[in-house]
Amino acid sequence: MSIKFFRIVQCAFWRMGSITDDEVIRKRLLIDGDGAGDDRRINVLMKSFTKWCQSNFSPEEGFSQYQRMLTSLAQCEFSMGKTLLVYDMNLKEMENYETIYADIEKSITSAHEKIAECKKEIQRAKRIRKNRQEYDALARVIKQHPDRHETLKQLEALDKELQQLSHIKENVEDKLELRKKQFHVLLTTIQELQQTLDNDEKMESDDTQESSMENGD
Amino acid sequence: MGPVELLHMSVFSQSFSPCGRFLAAGNNYGEIAVFSLSAALSPEASEGSQKPILNFTAHDGPVFTLLSTDTHLLSAGNGEISAWSWAELIKKTTKAAWTRKPSYETSLEIPEINAMIINPKDNSLIVGGGDNNIHIMDMETGIFKSVLKGHTDYIHCLCFKEREGEILSGGEDGAVRIWDSRTNRPVHCIEVFKYEECARPQFGKWISCLATDSDWMLCGGGPSLSLWHLRSMSPTSVFPLPGCQREAVFHQDLIMSVGEGPYVSHCLHGGTVKAQIPCTPSSLNTLALNLKNTEHRVMTVGGSSHQIDVFTNFSYRAFSLSF
Repeated sequence: MSIKFFRIVQCAFWRMGSITDDEVIRKRLLIDGDGAGDDRRINVLMKSFTKWCQSNFSPEEGFSQYQRMLTSLAQCEFSMGKTLLVYDMNLKEMENYETIYADIEKSITSAHEKIAECKKEIQRAKRIRKNRQEYDALARVIKQHPDRHETLKQLEALDKELQQLSHIKENVEDKLELRKKQFHVLLTTIQELQQTLDNDEKMESDDTQESSMENGD
Repeated sequence: MGPVELLHMSVFSQSFSPCGRFLAAGNNYGEIAVFSLSAALSPEASEGSQKPILNFTAHDGPVFTLLSTDTHLLSAGNGEISAWSWAELIKKTTKAAWTRKPSYETSLEIPEINAMIINPKDNSLIVGGGDNNIHIMDMETGIFKSVLKGHTDYIHCLCFKEREGEILSGGEDGAVRIWDSRTNRPVHCIEVFKYEECARPQFGKWISCLATDSDWMLCGGGPSLSLWHLRSMSPTSVFPLPGCQREAVFHQDLIMSVGEGPYVSHCLHGGTVKAQIPCTPSSLNTLALNLKNTEHRVMTVGGSSHQIDVFTNFSYRAFSLSF
């Protein structure tokens, strides 16, 4: 009803420029005296009822008028029923929307929580990845160096070899000492023998000299 | 700032504010620009929000390094360290809180400062620069406590190992030296260019980027970017990146590095390059990650361009801030 009123005022303004309130009201009452739709039907019913009660109708006219009133009453009841049903439907829809709203709120909060958890997970995963990378980098460096067991084994083998060689060296040195001593003994005896022989020779030559001197005298 | 100057601008350093909502960047003209990340990342961001909220000249020479403490922004370029209060910078006041200079042996020329880091254990500032030495300054008193000598050429980058309290420094002489921060004595010296798998003699032996993550260290520059295991002092993986890398960071399970070439490289610890994300500058000097603030968690890179690329998802470039 108010929309119609607005439209009328709009048309009036367009056609006549400025317009007074009286004109508007009059126009409205003329066109829309009884209201629109259901309102009009009820008003018309009331009016025709009072007219029917008061005026003198012929029985057929009265009966037809009565029928007409009954039909319009039925129409009014029908439209009332319809509006009631629509009202109920609207209420139920409102409830439905409320529940959907609550659901969506809940899922928003749970999504927020999930996001926060996922962020924490990401941080953890990043830390883990960093640790793995550092481990890999160090492992690469360590791999470049030879294995500890092998180096130890090599060291042991070298130690053994060293020991063996020092043994051999000792033996050889001992032998050398022994030979040196033996040769020393041999040489000293030879020298002594040489000396004794020389002494003997000297003594012999002294003896012959003495005897030849005695003979000469 | 004319178009020619914009064309020749290079961004050398970046730092995020302690709250994580602002980014300060230093360029080769000595200017520091403060950008508002919350404005640039908000849904109503426009062209104007990608411009700095504050742009001022901080030093005579280029600003090579920027560092943020809990309250101040420290900037260093040609031999001077200036501190600016973040609260004041946000309010657009550009008065330095203090300016200090390490004590240099020769007073003839003032060497530049290439790297600054903070030692949180005893609240000291460690700077390294052109005079081949590392100077340590106490933040509260401002006195330069000690000098670590050992490098034979200027120092490019510094890094700090929290757990053992060790300072790592990399320099033009190709050596990464590890110093103990309590006794101020050198602990190790790694000459990266002597290792065949890393060395790239065609580029030189200089080390320009260092990063450390407890037992692991990244270093690169002339030699290829390589991941080292510090306990055994051996290189575990070498990354096949073509250019010289200028900055690298560890982030979760990835290694991100920038250098020559208009891309950010994402690498895995195993030595594979997972991705190379293109960016606007033709070569990059600095990469910064804003991990302090969860809302504005971005990565920003800057290099030989007046634009700083911002990555909201670390996998692709979202937009660029420009000077």
